[in-house]
Amino acid sequence: MISREICRKVLQKAVSTGGDYAEIFAENTIKYNVAMIANKVESISDAVIAGAAVRVYKGMRSVMASTVDTSESGLLRCAAQAAEALGQGTAGIDIVLKERTFGDIHPVRIVPSSVANREKVAILKEGYFAAKEYSEAITQVTGNLMDVDHNILIANTEGLYTQDRQIRTRIAISAVAEINGETQTGSCAPGRRMGLEMFDSVDPKAVGIHAAKQAVTMAGAGYCPAGVMPVAIDNGFGGVIFHEACGHSLEASSVAYGRSQFVGKLGQKIANEKVTAIDDGTIPNAWGSINIDDEGTPAQKNVLIENGVLKSYMVDKFNGRRMGMASTGNARRESYAYTPTSRMTNTYIAPGTDKNEDIIASIEYGLYAKEMGGGSVNPVTGEFNFAVNEGYMVRNGKICEPVRGASLVGKGSEIIQNIDMVGSVLEMGQGMCGSSSGSVPTNVGQPMIRVSSITVGGR
Amino acid sequence: MDFNGFKQIVIEKCAALGIEEYELYYQSGASTSVSAFQHEINQFTGTTEGGVCFRCIAGGKMGYASTEALTAQQAELIVEKAADNASVLEAEEQVFLCQGGQEYVPLEERAYEMPTTEELVSTVLATQEKLYAADSAVIDGCQTQGVAESSEIAIYNSKGLDLHSKTNLSGLVVVAVVSDGQEMANDFQIKLGKLDAIDADKLTAEAVKCAKGKLGGEVAPTGQYPVVFSPEAMSDLLDTYAGIFSSRAAQKGLSKLAGKEGEMIASSIVTLVDDPFHPQAPMPRNFDAEGSPAYKKNLIENGVFQTLLYNLKTAAVDGRKTTGNAYKSDYASAVGISPFTMYLAAGDMTEEQLLIKAGNGVYINSLGGLHAGANTVSGDFSLQSAGFMIEDGRKTRAVKSFTVAGNFYEVLKNITAVASNLELPGMARFGSPSVLVEGLSIAGK
Repeated sequence: MISREICRKVLQKAVSTGGDYAEIFAENTIKYNVAMIANKVESISDAVIAGAAVRVYKGMRSVMASTVDTSESGLLRCAAQAAEALGQGTAGIDIVLKERTFGDIHPVRIVPSSVANREKVAILKEGYFAAKEYSEAITQVTGNLMDVDHNILIANTEGLYTQDRQIRTRIAISAVAEINGETQTGSCAPGRRMGLEMFDSVDPKAVGIHAAKQAVTMAGAGYCPAGVMPVAIDNGFGGVIFHEACGHSLEASSVAYGRSQFVGKLGQKIANEKVTAIDDGTIPNAWGSINIDDEGTPAQKNVLIENGVLKSYMVDKFNGRRMGMASTGNARRESYAYTPTSRMTNTYIAPGTDKNEDIIASIEYGLYAKEMGGGSVNPVTGEFNFAVNEGYMVRNGKICEPVRGASLVGKGSEIIQNIDMVGSVLEMGQGMCGSSSGSVPTNVGQPMIRVSSITVGGR
Repeated sequence: MDFNGFKQIVIEKCAALGIEEYELYYQSGASTSVSAFQHEINQFTGTTEGGVCFRCIAGGKMGYASTEALTAQQAELIVEKAADNASVLEAEEQVFLCQGGQEYVPLEERAYEMPTTEELVSTVLATQEKLYAADSAVIDGCQTQGVAESSEIAIYNSKGLDLHSKTNLSGLVVVAVVSDGQEMANDFQIKLGKLDAIDADKLTAEAVKCAKGKLGGEVAPTGQYPVVFSPEAMSDLLDTYAGIFSSRAAQKGLSKLAGKEGEMIASSIVTLVDDPFHPQAPMPRNFDAEGSPAYKKNLIENGVFQTLLYNLKTAAVDGRKTTGNAYKSDYASAVGISPFTMYLAAGDMTEEQLLIKAGNGVYINSLGGLHAGANTVSGDFSLQSAGFMIEDGRKTRAVKSFTVAGNFYEVLKNITAVASNLELPGMARFGSPSVLVEGLSIAGK
């Protein structure tokens, strides 16, 4: 994309006013999305994102300037803007760039941007019509097939010059079911950090059926009752509880500024001893995986909590300065136009030893949350929420009727003490996580867990 | 190259390929953001962005392709890609480009000079000092931020349309973090406008007051209560459910408002307005994303449903005129539908009178998880909330970590009082006064 020599000149310019570190991040990305509704292919969007950003640090200060002009003169202007914003000073760094490669632990066989529209439409239709034809109660289905071909280049004054190609593919089917005038929705949206070979292991039909079945089940369900009760949360996207209740508060973007419920808690017991939680960007071809993060640090497997004890935060280079900690390979940004910060990759609660049937059997009166939706959190207080997309009442240790419209709320630091049973079958679910550095793909995951007591928002 | 050079290549390429109906949508912007932490500037960001979306009608279908790289090669490529993308589309609705030469409501001139970086820096630092000085409960963690943004949109098409609009925006963001020694709480306030016209004292005082109000709050008791939503909370709810007013959603069975024009869908004290020219609209434009003239309209008038929001395609499906609500979430996205500035019209009660009318209930001034806990198809919601108990007609103790559950279609019908304190918080795309809603479920302790 941009030669080593140009990068060197641009970095030199960037530190010309006394910066102690500078970085170039350039990208060329193709984003594709084909959408279906009402049984027809309705639209295709197909966009090229191309630009670069220059960042300069000086102590605890960070300056970033971005541009769509990636010519040598455009990049130099961008670097000059950053250097000028940093203030006055003199250059003190000699820059020698060495090209480094970090390998690709996420091999891709079929590059989506090279595949004709018709082939992608055919895959989407398989999933779409599997949902549509699942039941007469299905009144509408929407379907999307999305792929991203994200090419990045990172060079910095520490001498790094490297590139990476990140290819992702995702299918999303949503179904609407109507039973006796009650309308409800169901959805399923698996994604992988791979090409179209994803569909060798993910059957589009199964995706459609999953969405449709959930819509039909929920359309026939009554409202979830409100109150405080024990909840069994199933594996896969259920892991959103850790992501919201705990994960965001362990990101350096909160911790470095004292805006986290877990500041100063390293080495302390913050969770139930049944809880071991991990953020691992190195899982081959997983949705949240990376080879290198957006500052060029190789992805790592970081144990965040081990048997209830806080072991590590998720740290990027810049916020790491304030914390006196090294990067953990968690710097991420949606695109060059966002300032990167520490974010999650694939974050999950590690398998425990409890059996799923024992978890359900232990609940006299409570909720079984089979499928979770999204959520959010205030990392300062740890107050979080997330939605239950498919829930069932549990009475006397048995799963009973489906219930709809539930959400779970609580305070992270309290709820992770209440995770008192952890099953053994780990699964992941895919999401797009939104925060200050934009929307990035993240996996959430866990085995089935029991939360001994949590507020269930129903009616 | 610049947009005009890029446009010329596209025009020539279309002529060569025999593409007669096409549009170029160009968006560019520059923004500067400065933030302070612990009395010092810790982050500065300057971005320039820009991209072109090309769309064309080929075989009766609308194909799209976009790029941020304004090069001759990309200019030719997006024409080819858009035509190819059109060839696999199946939707049968007729597609349109906007006719040129229409009349537009003249925009009131209210552009102001963008603040310089120096002004941003000094304002942000001064505001942070005000924040620390406001109360002894304020702790490190507080952040203040100043932003300045300019945005330009141009739409050019083969039917004689050639529109251009440029808008500026600046504002101040305050994040107050407070502690009582036991726990922390925070609050976020944003105010748009000319920097030196923003009352930073008021903004910081409000942030600190709101953050302190959250300290020591208890979990609300479970039950059915009358609920008063603050202007902010009700604006958030309107934002979340604005999609039900989309004609596309109605035509595709994703909104329950299909075919309800002329019917009472809300309490008779409810009037809902979409006003592209509202004085607080941060980036007013007199045309929508297709280039159709924008205008002010009532969606609900005294409880009676007046109209869905339309773009050219959905209007043709229902055999009527567009309401000028075509919308693109970014330059590259397909044309959808959205209100410009949507707000619930003010009533004539004070908020105090609303609380007296509520008697005993819950006052909600913060809703969370709207992207997850609200189903826009069924209207059902169950949302994380915070606020105060209402006892004997007065706000009393702070409550948090509870949920409010109901159905938005029912909320519209169950609004029993509307206050006069209309506000358009945050980015001012949605607004509301405080409203009293009967019969919602609270889940807490």
